[in-house]
Amino acid sequence: MENEINNILIFGTNIKTEKDKNSISPILDAHPEIHQWNIDLEDIDSVLRIESETLNAEQIIKLITEQDYKCSELSE
Amino acid sequence: MRTRDTNKEEIVKLNAIRLLVEKGIEGFSMNRLAKESKISVATLYIYYSDKEELIKKIGIEIGKRFFDEMAKDFSPAMSFKEGLYKQWENRSRHTQENPLDVSCWEVLTHSSYAEEILEESLQNFKIIMGQFFKNAVERKELIPTISKEVFWSVAYGPLYSLLRFERDGKNFGGEPFKLNKEITNEAFELVLKALTP
Repeated sequence: MENEINNILIFGTNIKTEKDKNSISPILDAHPEIHQWNIDLEDIDSVLRIESETLNAEQIIKLITEQDYKCSELSE
Repeated sequence: MRTRDTNKEEIVKLNAIRLLVEKGIEGFSMNRLAKESKISVATLYIYYSDKEELIKKIGIEIGKRFFDEMAKDFSPAMSFKEGLYKQWENRSRHTQENPLDVSCWEVLTHSSYAEEILEESLQNFKIIMGQFFKNAVERKELIPTISKEVFWSVAYGPLYSLLRFERDGKNFGGEPFKLNKEITNEAFELVLKALTP
């Protein structure tokens, strides 16, 4: 548990609806380096949370913006 | 390297309970929780994957605290009178000492989260109380044919009504009210009379 939190990346997005979510799900689901992900559609930031031991923020941002969604890393 | 700040985590939990009580589940927002806890949204999401997970975890913790309080100095081997009285004492203390916990529990157990939260937090409590009732019926200290809902209403309803008067400091007519041992015992004796064969 203590180590896990080092592999979490947090982004604000404009992925607002279930439909939006479904359109990016296949890419995130299929990505071999993404251990787990979820989007909180309930909150205004539409926070995307990624668990990955190898990917960095830029790589995730590229992945999402390529699908025509906005994505920026939220700072701690 | 990130480390968990347990102090911050406690602040987040307390604020979450307060916000759930104030805003309800619909009005509760992770963004606001982060702001009021003086942490970034990102930090909050490192600890909790989303609003749903946070609410479930908070609910299960409240439920476990409640269970620990109810189980204090209580044993299913106690006589019905002794055991029920202990439940009254424990419930009374818990309700008066943790008003926010109690209000939040009320919100969560009347929501779509209820089933999951109850199942995880009260499993052990259910087993203990089940054993207590079984013993009471076997010893002929409790009437055997009573539905769960009626039992609960008769056994604890009067106590929670009195606790509500105590919380408000007055009765339904606006007259001042203070719950003391004498009043509690008076109600308890009547409850016992109703439930004993």
